Amino acid sequence: MDSFIQEIRGLFGKNEDFFLLQDYVSDAPVVLLGFKTLLDLTKTKSVLYKNIESMLSAGKSSEEILFNIGEVKEKDIKMATSTLLEGKLIILIENSKKYIVFEPVPKSLNRSVQSPENENVLQGALNSFTEDIDTNIGIMRKQLITTDLFVQSFTTGKNQKRKISLLYLESQADKDLVRKIVNRIETNLDMDINNMQGLTTLMGFSSWEAISKFHTTELPFQAVHLLNKERVVLFVDQLPFAFILPNFFWDLFAMENDRNFPKPIMIAIRAVRVIGILITLISPGLYVALVAVNPEVLQIELALSIARSREGVPYPALVEIILMLLILELILEASVRLPKSIGPTITMVGGIILGQAAVEAKLVSNLLIIILAATTIANSTVVSFQNSVSIRVFKYVVVLLSAIFGILGLVAGLVLVCAYFASLNTFGFSYLYVNLKKDEMNG
Amino acid sequence: MDKSLNVMVIYILSHLGLIFFMYPGNIIDSTEQGHWLPILIGVIVHFVFITIYMKGLELFPKKDVISIYSSIGKGTAVFFLIPVLLYFIMIILITVRAYAEIITIVFLSNTPLWAIILLILFISTYIAANGIEPIFRTGFLLAILFLPLIVMIFFTSFQNVDWHYFVPFDTDFKFMSSPSYYESFFAFSGGFLFLGFIQPYFSYKRKKVLIAAAILIPIFLFSVYIPILTFGQATAATTFLPYVVVVDTININWLMFDRVTMFFLLSLISFIMLYLALVIWKTVRIINHYIPSIHSSYCMILLSLAIFITCHFISDWKEVEKLFLWNTLLRFYVLFAIPLSIYYFGRRAKRKENNANT
Amino acid sequence: MQTPKSNKRVLLVLCMISIICTLTGCWDNRDINHRVLPLAIGISKQANEYKVILKIQVHDNETTKLKIVTQTGETISKAVDTISTNMESSVDLLHVKVIVIDKETAEDGVKDIISGFMRSREVSPKALIAICDEDIEYFFTNIKKTMTSDGTSLVENFDKGAGWDPQIALTRIWEVYRSVHSYTHDVAIPIIISGKSTSIEHIGSAIIKNGKMVERIDNDETLLFNAFKGESTHGQIEVMTNASVLIIGNSMNIKSKMNGKQPLMEGKVNLKVVILETRGDPSRKFIKKELNAHLSKRFSHMFEKTQKSEADILALGQYFRTHIPRSELKSWRTEYYPNLKMNIQFQIDIQNEGYLKTL
Repeated sequence: MDSFIQEIRGLFGKNEDFFLLQDYVSDAPVVLLGFKTLLDLTKTKSVLYKNIESMLSAGKSSEEILFNIGEVKEKDIKMATSTLLEGKLIILIENSKKYIVFEPVPKSLNRSVQSPENENVLQGALNSFTEDIDTNIGIMRKQLITTDLFVQSFTTGKNQKRKISLLYLESQADKDLVRKIVNRIETNLDMDINNMQGLTTLMGFSSWEAISKFHTTELPFQAVHLLNKERVVLFVDQLPFAFILPNFFWDLFAMENDRNFPKPIMIAIRAVRVIGILITLISPGLYVALVAVNPEVLQIELALSIARSREGVPYPALVEIILMLLILELILEASVRLPKSIGPTITMVGGIILGQAAVEAKLVSNLLIIILAATTIANSTVVSFQNSVSIRVFKYVVVLLSAIFGILGLVAGLVLVCAYFASLNTFGFSYLYVNLKKDEMNG
Repeated sequence: MDKSLNVMVIYILSHLGLIFFMYPGNIIDSTEQGHWLPILIGVIVHFVFITIYMKGLELFPKKDVISIYSSIGKGTAVFFLIPVLLYFIMIILITVRAYAEIITIVFLSNTPLWAIILLILFISTYIAANGIEPIFRTGFLLAILFLPLIVMIFFTSFQNVDWHYFVPFDTDFKFMSSPSYYESFFAFSGGFLFLGFIQPYFSYKRKKVLIAAAILIPIFLFSVYIPILTFGQATAATTFLPYVVVVDTININWLMFDRVTMFFLLSLISFIMLYLALVIWKTVRIINHYIPSIHSSYCMILLSLAIFITCHFISDWKEVEKLFLWNTLLRFYVLFAIPLSIYYFGRRAKRKENNANT
Repeated sequence: MQTPKSNKRVLLVLCMISIICTLTGCWDNRDINHRVLPLAIGISKQANEYKVILKIQVHDNETTKLKIVTQTGETISKAVDTISTNMESSVDLLHVKVIVIDKETAEDGVKDIISGFMRSREVSPKALIAICDEDIEYFFTNIKKTMTSDGTSLVENFDKGAGWDPQIALTRIWEVYRSVHSYTHDVAIPIIISGKSTSIEHIGSAIIKNGKMVERIDNDETLLFNAFKGESTHGQIEVMTNASVLIIGNSMNIKSKMNGKQPLMEGKVNLKVVILETRGDPSRKFIKKELNAHLSKRFSHMFEKTQKSEADILALGQYFRTHIPRSELKSWRTEYYPNLKMNIQFQIDIQNEGYLKTL
């Protein structure tokens, strides 16, 4: 045995799933290396033999066969280990300086293409991205049958390798944007990327932005649409969604699937989303402002009924609303954590019983419960969960300012949020950028 | 890229914020009847000087006021820029203080003045610190959010109008001797200078800005006339913020809110915050030109802090008015001298260029 | 121009600190349930003191009770303040919708009261004013008995969307304030007393000149006044000896002229009416004639009254703004208005007669 095998064995030998088999290709003795968990050994072997047999019957020599069944590489320990970890089979020719990388039959470790879990579509394409990056790119290719689509892949990470793919339409995407992104990835190739935050640092964005720089989607339909709108799609292996750069404000309201409805309906649907965001941002703040600071703004009947319903509530409106908002966030978080079968119970207990009891125990006013319900519902109209979480955060800024300055605080909060939106910038694209030419709706 | 629309929006927003508060009161105070004449003169002056200003700026493509003056000479730059700088600082001071006072009068009687000043300054500094492009984009968002509201309330404010108050038309030039008339130029002179500061970042068409200014004419007119039509001159003259009082008398039954004034005023206040952000940004541009070593964000924070502290030395409205009056001289200097000088230097530069070519 | 990220962060931190600073300075923002929101306020001037009566709601578990609080003070705000100190919650006049002033005070002049309300801005300038023709304390205790528990009925009496009728003058604080300063514009304020079965009864309107009550007109005259002002008079039944009609629309056309120092006026009021009831078989023509005569007489009666008291509640002086220079207009009430010659004609249009034919 040569030193190469020794070295590899030193690295992987302790792993139970690592195998090292002696075998023969026609006459030549070889060693097969690989991971049992990543490739289907039996099937791979039979494919290998079939290959060899067919070549033997064609009258090739063992030398020729060896060099034709796979990619031939110089012995390099680093390359070999990463090839192994990617799930390839290595055929080591004894007493030679070369090895062969054979494309094995992989173990099926991926789920099949399913309907989206986090984003629902009404009357639209139901495919969604999965963990496997090649499947995802394949789905994209299937939807975009054009020579225009370019896929650029990178392997990143120093200790943990991960594949990143960049997809764009040559004719659509901004050249500058693509160049900047490729630059970023190439300069930071040795960063380990496991999640969106990792990708954010790789791209050189500030990690403290409340709004993600990426628009994430599970829907190939949506990703394809955005590719057509000058954007660029990034896939990270084992993350089942597409990262779309840059993220724009209008993405909060627009979904490609809306276009499967007649245009007036589409506009109405989007208008509802716009109203949804406004209600989410305004209504809790408005409640606090009206109850605590500026009751004169209310019509008298409303003022009296609110005063009556708040009678006996022992703490100021700010505490009241923060308390309830907190409980609401807890319910939301809990229902994500819980198994699907118990989820509805939490909604029941949290939403109906707790709310009703809180009102009856005079802990909060019943108007507040209505406001909270409206806020939560309105919040969910936003496209993409990532965005709805961001909007949820801004709501608190508005509530705090409203509690101090009343309606002035509410308006100030809105101005602040607007200014924040306006200040966001991705590779020279403003967050508020609206492509008027191609997007028929303007913001 | 042509960003005329953005410039138009900012132009309209910043003027709206300035018009509806002090301007009607100043005009109503300045004359007893025929208010259209002082308004008209103001508007004409405004139009003439922004045209001259923009014509002058067009002679220096892709250059802002600061670089134009400094390209001519150090002395000229100091001579023109320092008064502008002073004027800007005064404007920030007066606007913040005056609007904080208005806010306490109109709807936050319990809130201490310093807190309101802090809030206004904080938000405008934040917007300003983002840079000029975000300022413009913020303006766009604010326009989408608040302009419909303002337009709606503007139209409902015709609710109690008695058109008989419109007549008679005959008038005289007595208002020329009234100091409050000169104070009213605050609404004209405050906003237009930014056209000369945004040049490298935004380009715009002169015609579009003039359209924006034209859109403002009915607003100038009715901001004064609606109080007069509702109350009559004699009553309107006794009120502090005539337009605000008018909005307070609007009765809308079907709305769930009782006092629509508040929404109107607050929308305008949000425009004022934007306007302040713009002025802060311009001020810091000038300061940075002379002291480039400080980073502009820190400079803005320092400036706001200084303004915040200075605001505490202004104890009451009388002093605000006094400052307002003192500011008149600078105001007219800025209104007249800057456009004219830019135009003059532009012509001269052009001539020189032509001479050099022949 | 994009500021580097680190600076932005510094800015953000500074902002946070400043926000927290303001938070710690939380001032007295009282929640809505700790404020008493009176709907109506009664004011009476007695000697040198104001007596202020507030009608407030007190919530007691599920039920709401009305409570009448009385206090005297040198100024209105002083009196309100005293009430505020004595009560468990603070009194906010923000939602006052009706201000009831007793007759003696109105005759004495309400200028100071109105100016006070306009200045403080606490009471909305939209609040209505009414004059009470009985002892104000008696009035409030009486209406408390007949009023529904939420206590808005006094307000709803004046609400155009609810209980308002065209016989009721509708005058808001800002209009009274305008009349105090205007040269040509006076107002009429409804006069009310507490009723036996209904909570209040309207017994006409007071003519207010420069903030002082100088004369009164009855309900029918108020209707004409409203018609003249262009308020919707819809739903009004006009009783004559032979028929009653419903006015469903009115429009007006007025021409003004100056004859030397004598103002002349020609008015034409177009009324669209619907016949409701008839006694006997009057013809259409007869009804028109009757109605015309009736209205003209009523109008001239009211007009003479206002001329005698030199109070221009119809704001006729407005029509002479182009004829009389401003300096002269100041003496409109005393010099021109009493000499004003008014020629008014009613043009009556019978719109439909319902299911029955009239001749």
